[in-house]
Amino acid sequence: MSRATQTALVRDDRTLYEAVAGLAVGCSGVAFLTGLAALLDLLSIDDLVAGLELSVVLGVVVLGLGVSVVGFGLTSRLGYVETEAQPSAGLVASAAFTGIWVAIGMAISGVAGLPTAGQLGIGAILGAAAFATTALPREDIGSTLPAGVVAGFCGLALVSGVVGPGLEQGLAGYNATLFGDTVVPAVVLLASLVTGWSAANAYGGFGARGRNIAAYVLIYLVVGSILAVLVGLVAFVTAKGLPGLFNGFGVGGAGLLRWPFLTNGAGLLADTAGVFPALLGTVWLVIGAVLFAVPTGVGAAVFLSEYAEEGRFTGAVEVATNGLWSTPSIVFGLFGAAFLIPRFGNQKSLIAGMLTLGFMLLPLVLITSREAILAVPDEYRDASAALGVSKWQTIRSVVLPAAIPGVTTGVILGVGRIAGETAPILLTMGGGVLPAKSAAPNVLGGFQLSASPPFVSNPALLEATSALPYQLYALITAGLSGNIQNPQEYAWGLALTLLLVVLVFYAIGITTRYYFRRKLHQ
Amino acid sequence: MVLVSMGSLLAAFVGFLLASPWTAIPLAGFLVATGYGWVRHQALLARAVTFAMTTVTLLTLGLIVVFIFAESIPAFRYETVTVFGVSVPGLGMFVQPRWDAVSEPVRYSLLPMIHGTVMVTTIATLVAAPLGVAAALFIAEIAPPRVRELVKPGIEILAGIPSIVYGFIGFTVINPWASDAFALNGGSTYLFVGMVVGLMALPTVVSVAEDALTSVPDVMKNGSLALGATDWQSMTSITLPAAFSGVSAAVLLGVGRAIGETMAATVMLAGVPRISEPLVNVFYGYETLTSLIARGYGSANGVHESALFAAGVVLFITVLCLSLGSQYIEARMRHRLGGVE
Repeated sequence: MSRATQTALVRDDRTLYEAVAGLAVGCSGVAFLTGLAALLDLLSIDDLVAGLELSVVLGVVVLGLGVSVVGFGLTSRLGYVETEAQPSAGLVASAAFTGIWVAIGMAISGVAGLPTAGQLGIGAILGAAAFATTALPREDIGSTLPAGVVAGFCGLALVSGVVGPGLEQGLAGYNATLFGDTVVPAVVLLASLVTGWSAANAYGGFGARGRNIAAYVLIYLVVGSILAVLVGLVAFVTAKGLPGLFNGFGVGGAGLLRWPFLTNGAGLLADTAGVFPALLGTVWLVIGAVLFAVPTGVGAAVFLSEYAEEGRFTGAVEVATNGLWSTPSIVFGLFGAAFLIPRFGNQKSLIAGMLTLGFMLLPLVLITSREAILAVPDEYRDASAALGVSKWQTIRSVVLPAAIPGVTTGVILGVGRIAGETAPILLTMGGGVLPAKSAAPNVLGGFQLSASPPFVSNPALLEATSALPYQLYALITAGLSGNIQNPQEYAWGLALTLLLVVLVFYAIGITTRYYFRRKLHQ
Repeated sequence: MVLVSMGSLLAAFVGFLLASPWTAIPLAGFLVATGYGWVRHQALLARAVTFAMTTVTLLTLGLIVVFIFAESIPAFRYETVTVFGVSVPGLGMFVQPRWDAVSEPVRYSLLPMIHGTVMVTTIATLVAAPLGVAAALFIAEIAPPRVRELVKPGIEILAGIPSIVYGFIGFTVINPWASDAFALNGGSTYLFVGMVVGLMALPTVVSVAEDALTSVPDVMKNGSLALGATDWQSMTSITLPAAFSGVSAAVLLGVGRAIGETMAATVMLAGVPRISEPLVNVFYGYETLTSLIARGYGSANGVHESALFAAGVVLFITVLCLSLGSQYIEARMRHRLGGVE
């Protein structure tokens, strides 16, 4: 019976070890979050916690973590616990610790006032030592000792107050000063990251399993922080923008709904300044771009996937499409300014903006439509052809309807992207900083016939028009001031409106895709 | 009928190129001919029209090249430098560091802006590449389906947040904070512009790298797992090496995005065309190629405007090369994984 418990499959003897290592991972996580909160000024590092300053408390925690991480390594190395440590910690870990220690060495010697050569020398010595400690001994020492020393070093610096609230370190020649407020959290973040990784490695008993867990901890941290940034950004803009967006909002009264921020222009006469002209400008901009890009893109996708033989021509079109997709938006703006503006009355105009954004939208539509058309199973085409239906009839009544979900999703997501573009319309469409309601484009009522060429004209299309992203930019360059009551609130409300417009497109696009995909799999 | 339709379309295009007011006539001719042909010879015409639409992408790229280059010629002429008796137009933009469009001597060097772009792009890549590849690994290999359905749209939405909103947050929140936290003169820093731009380039890296990782055949991973390797071992020794070229293409595309990012840089940077001292000082934020164009266009004219187009040419060529490079790498990878030697 007693033998059964000693096989490697049942790791009873390691439960305490694992529990302590797990606790260390948790403590590192808490230290990391605290450091982050201090960096974002949610906590102050000289707050008193149990009679001690926060930075000192964090120092004690980090020091403890460092000591325990080294302890994990020693316990394993001396054979008190059975682990699957490999002969070396591996190249990636060695390189990482070398980098960290070079940075620490250069930072310390820089503070001590050594010249650049001296800094590099100290950095190189410490880095080489770290590389040797990581790469040469068995893995359980190699992946804990350098980490523990980093944490211990950081912890000592914090506890002793060398790095503390009072720190003020000028960076010679850099025109910047480092204060405790930012250095303490940064040190805590670094140390807790390293101990967290190392403790997770120990938790998994080193070896393949330990590295697996340690890597997963880091990856989950990365993904978590990306999502946190996303949620934080949206929440922040929402919180800042809501007062502006709902300024004067009311239900009932003369109309069914009063929403002055969306229905008013800005100006001295309007009681509540609103973004109506820019909102309408964005709507027309999107309509114009879609009218140009969607038929063209879908048509091109049909030709490429149904008619054309794979060859030079399709290859060239594909390269050109991908090239256009990655072309910077400001270059599209320059192109619109050089090519379109001279052809539409030599001034910034709505139609120039529409076509410029249309050119930007084209590669997006083409790529997604082509994917959608290629995803239509060949059986559909064969079945249609077997019935004696001509090629064009097959495309029209079989291929295109089957591809519509994919095309729609692509178009909606593409529109979401171009609706927020600023750089192209900055150069081609212009418009005022705070347009009054009368500046809103009246496209439908603007068509005029004339006897001279070009026979049809529409002044609304040929005028400089504002759009949401452009107006936000113009407000920022005007220093967030203007002839309205509360420019700050107005600007945040504008930012939120723009964000909502874009996010609504994305939400619709993603939901459609999800819906059609589920339908396809049923 | 097809000939009439296509001929009038071509005529309309030429008319538009020449900025002729008579463009409307061939355009109307095209519409009438196409409308008539649609009723009578639909199949034939559909093929011709879709072909014409296909040429639009090629045409757009061509027009961009022609027009931006044409507009930049005066600036290249102005900055002619003679080397060993040979006068090289445009060399003056890259061998001396002075950009001043107002006071004498008026010079248009792009070096300060190239330096700024390099600084911002380097920092952005340091942010976007590791985080992007880690997130792509998570989505492609680690996440359970339900979590993936949540994380993937989340990262797409991150790509959707307009750059001017990032810039606005940077201008109103990050810049004042940085100015305070590091006691700077003004709040513009390449460091934080780079971080913001990195965040914006991140979704590109994630989605392209994820495509590359999922395109690695499952049999390869399953073989590794069946031998008793852990998930992480299979990832680092099978999936990542197999998808390496795709992942590097993703990073290249991310770099391209970072180079071309305009609004956040324009709003957050100081707008002084100068090279920081020392060169690697991330606590200054002067100007990038993109922000130079966005800030200067409109008030500029003559050679100055042309110099902005020259900055656009430099941007366009750099990003196009990155795009071509990543396409080449991806094509090679597809070729190899497809097993066609």
